[in-house]
Amino acid sequence: MSRPLAAGSGAVALGVDAQFAQRRRRHGVQFAAFLAVMVLVAWSVEVTIIEDTDWERMGSPAQVLESAGRFARVDWALFPDLLEPALETFMIACLGTLLGALICIPVAWFGAMNITPFKPVTYPLARLLMTLSRSIHEIVWALFFVAVVGLGAMAGIFALAVRSVGFIAKMTSEAIEDIKPGPVEAIRAVGGNGFQVMLYAILPQVLPQILSVVVFEWEINIRRSAVLGLVGAGGLGLVFFRQMNTFNFPGVTAVLLAILAIILIGELVSHFARKSVI
Amino acid sequence: MKPDTDTPSGGGDALARDLHWRRYRFPDALYGYGAWIVVLSFLAFSVQYLEIPLGRIPDMFARMGAVLATRYYPPDLEYILDRDYMDYVVETIQMAYLGTLFGLLLSVPLGWFGAWNMTPSRRYVYPVARLVTMGFRAVHEMIFAILFVSILGYGMLAGVLALTFFCAGFAGKLFAEEIEAIDMGPVEAMRATGANLFQVMAFGVMPQVRVAFTGIGIYTWDVAFRAATVVGFVGAGGMGWYLKRNVLQIETERVAAILLSIVVLVLISEAVSAIARDRVMKMR
Repeated sequence: MSRPLAAGSGAVALGVDAQFAQRRRRHGVQFAAFLAVMVLVAWSVEVTIIEDTDWERMGSPAQVLESAGRFARVDWALFPDLLEPALETFMIACLGTLLGALICIPVAWFGAMNITPFKPVTYPLARLLMTLSRSIHEIVWALFFVAVVGLGAMAGIFALAVRSVGFIAKMTSEAIEDIKPGPVEAIRAVGGNGFQVMLYAILPQVLPQILSVVVFEWEINIRRSAVLGLVGAGGLGLVFFRQMNTFNFPGVTAVLLAILAIILIGELVSHFARKSVI
Repeated sequence: MKPDTDTPSGGGDALARDLHWRRYRFPDALYGYGAWIVVLSFLAFSVQYLEIPLGRIPDMFARMGAVLATRYYPPDLEYILDRDYMDYVVETIQMAYLGTLFGLLLSVPLGWFGAWNMTPSRRYVYPVARLVTMGFRAVHEMIFAILFVSILGYGMLAGVLALTFFCAGFAGKLFAEEIEAIDMGPVEAMRATGANLFQVMAFGVMPQVRVAFTGIGIYTWDVAFRAATVVGFVGAGGMGWYLKRNVLQIETERVAAILLSIVVLVLISEAVSAIARDRVMKMR
């Protein structure tokens, strides 16, 4: 009892036999796709894990556990030496986020479709900058800035700033694109110039979102600044590197705990900031 | 912010009171401006503590341009079009793929146990799941990579495990938030008909969050791929190893070529994931 209907009508309109055939076909396709994914996974596992791993060096599972157990103790004596690098890491994150937020003001201005000055040029440029900033890992940025401005906190700050620009500018430009046109019209109607429109009509509407995004990115930057020290940008990453190189595994655990501690502080501050601002 | 009008208690008092409008009254003004002062003074203190030469920053930008133009250009394209490097690129993609897959598998139970409304035990399982997710999120993927390289040796097993735990934390938190946002109606219905925990999850929760989960999965792959390109830097396999070698040998033109390849790959993966996410959004 299959009544052929116009193309594009739903499956419900087909007859029972055609429905079953369609369902079997769909299940067949899904099964084939699942099989293909399994084969891909098996091949990937074979190539990456099984062939590439030095199984002899790893040893038996008991030996692996023993290797992991080297990290189980904590070198408490290291903690007084960790305060200064921890503070440095925290500061690098704060300044990096600040610089990133400052840089993203023009980028977000160019990247918002409704207020960008010259759409064919500035909008794609801003979007490209945002994508570039987010695509390149912060370690790569840190390597680049260490080569340019030298070792130390400056490289880390620049690396974090450039890395954060992408996310903050993207969120800010999306917020600007979502504003209500009413206040903008109102300010223009009473004779405000472009800057006054920005300050009194656009900024008050998007400020809570911008602050929320900046605080969110600040939290993530604390996490990132800890590893930037690995490539020379200073802070706890450097201590981590040194402890690993001298095979002081309890010291490594101590540094990890310090990193977790400053991340926790960041989470607490951002929790309170969120509650009060937003 | 309390409005500036108080209960009227006679015309005489209103005249005596200050008629100047303020947006924030005490004590909100104190907290608000006080917080700003604390933040700005901490930033100023940081600049001084880290001995940041603010005056030299414009020079740095000029030098940056000079360094880019002379040492990093032209990028050594022959180096990255080499067969060995291409093999490493394919392995990086596989590593990212496996890491995301296993990480997502791990993050489904993490997200489920970490969701306040669907967790089997709010007292014990929920805090543990939340703590584990936070722990996985707090540790940077490079730190995971270094630890696993130290335990398991060089190679992609360390990289895959590092990416797995990173993705588990990343996706676990997003999954938990997604599950917490569901409509409890189907869940109640399933429970009313006597379904056990797994059946409630499979038939009450999963159909609601399936599309969002797919979107989160694609986003996770996007983020994991960027991390996979650099975990090789610490020995965990992939093209990051080439990066490290050339950085240490100060082969800046090759470094530029490798960075270019990383950017191109990430842009391609972002385009693919954007297309995939569009298809998923249309499924909604």
